[in-house]
Order: sequence, then structure tokens, then C-alpha cells
Amino acid sequence: MTDSEEELGLLETLDHLLDRGVVIAGEAVVSIGDVDLLYLGLNIVLANVDAIIRTSQPKLIK
Amino acid sequence: MKHVVIGAHLERGDVEPLAEAIPIADLWLSGVPIDDAQPLGDRELLLRVAQTRAALLDRATFIAIRYGFTAYGESDATGKCSAHIERWRRVLREYRGMVEMTLKVAAETPRARPDRHDFESGAAYIRALHDATRAAEVAPEFRNAVDENLAPLAVKHRWSARDTASLEFAALVRRESVSAINDAGIALKRDFPSIPFLLSGPWPLEVFADDHE
Repeated sequence: MTDSEEELGLLETLDHLLDRGVVIAGEAVVSIGDVDLLYLGLNIVLANVDAIIRTSQPKLIK
Repeated sequence: MKHVVIGAHLERGDVEPLAEAIPIADLWLSGVPIDDAQPLGDRELLLRVAQTRAALLDRATFIAIRYGFTAYGESDATGKCSAHIERWRRVLREYRGMVEMTLKVAAETPRARPDRHDFESGAAYIRALHDATRAAEVAPEFRNAVDENLAPLAVKHRWSARDTASLEFAALVRRESVSAINDAGIALKRDFPSIPFLLSGPWPLEVFADDHE
């Protein structure tokens, strides 16, 4: 696998990790009267993706 | 101590010893234990979770949970996931032995992303962003080739607009069909050398995790 393919694999892996799958966001529900106010637990991820070394590559066809 | 949750699994043996298994009713969450103070953006943690996620998929199919969800033990995890458990059980049983493959392709005529400053309200901006995303189209001959050559290899497939410049074809495939999908991708590259696309996988249940909703 070339360096560019490894970089592509890393970006694709991070895209799937950070932006896919089931979102479990409702941490608590507070009700006022008959209205539920849903509190969303916001998960903020700040990562230096360039510095992460990919070791488990998905198969890629560019 | 808390756990960064990776996915939902049918069997305890699908999780251990690759990750810690957290029971939620009769299902299991896979988790990576971390100190409360450890930031989720830590690059070593991200790498560790990515590695564990890949190893878990090699073991058995699971429902991916988006990075960032943490749980403090069994009761906390069960409480946070209770609304999903029944559906997860049905999805995991039906799709056991299947994985997802995704094909991202550049739009033929990418739309410019709307500029927030051009809109007086957030709602108008969101609508414009949504419209621009939906307007992205793939070259018809490429889309037809995907529908004719990749889709028949899948149990289910779905086209969706990811952003203003690309679309994605997601396929739910049996594990034994992954190599055939890859071969079809190679043929696509040969037949459409000028169209940028990326075929990747296998992935856990992500797009099709919401089936049975």
C-alpha cells in the first residue's frame, strides 16, 4: 500500500469512526409541563488527524 | 473510570477479550476503559479505538456507535441505550454475518456550499444547505453501472447525499461477497477512469443500523 493510499485509508477510517453509526445523544430528559426538553450531551472531538498513524487499514479501491 | 463505547453486540464472545463487555439487557456493548479526565480527542485514544473497532469487526458483525459516547458501567449504559435495545437485537440477529461496504463518488456537477453570511436566519441557511446537498448528482452512466454491477451483490443498498460535492452508495453484503464487491470496484475503475470514487470496507453496521426503526 502506498503512502497516499495509507493516508486515504486513515481519513476514511476516521470519517467512519467520527461521523457514522448510531448516535446516542440523549443524556437526560427534563420535562416542564407537558413539554419534554431534551438535553443533548454534545460530544466534541478535536483531533490532530494528520498525526494519527493508521495501523488497521480498510481495503480501498481508488 | 468510564468506557468509550464502540458498538453493540449480540454475544459476549463477540467482544471479549478484544474489548471490555458491558451488559445491556441480553446484548453487550464493547468499551475501551479510560480515566474520567482523559479527553476524547486524544489521538492515542482515537487510534486505540479505531484498532479495536477493526478487530471487533473481524470477530463478528456489530452495530457501530458513533465515537464520543461514554458510559459509567452497566446501569448507566443500560439506561442510556434502553430505547434502542429491542431494535438492536432484531438488527443484529437479521444481519449477523453481514458487513457494510461504501462507495463515495464525486458529484458530476458539485454545488457550491452556501455561505452562512448570505442568509438572514439559521433556518434559511440550513434549508439552502439541505437543498444543495440533495442537488448533487452522479454521472448517470456511472450510477447505472453501480446499480447493475454492485447492487446485485448486496442484500440491501442505498444511495445517499453526504454533502454538496459527493454521493455515497452503501451496501449491506454477506462477508463472503466482499471480494466480489471489490472485484466489481476494480472493474468500475477500469470502465470509468475519469470519475473519482472510493470503495472501502468492510465496515460494521452504520448506515443499516437504523433498520427496523
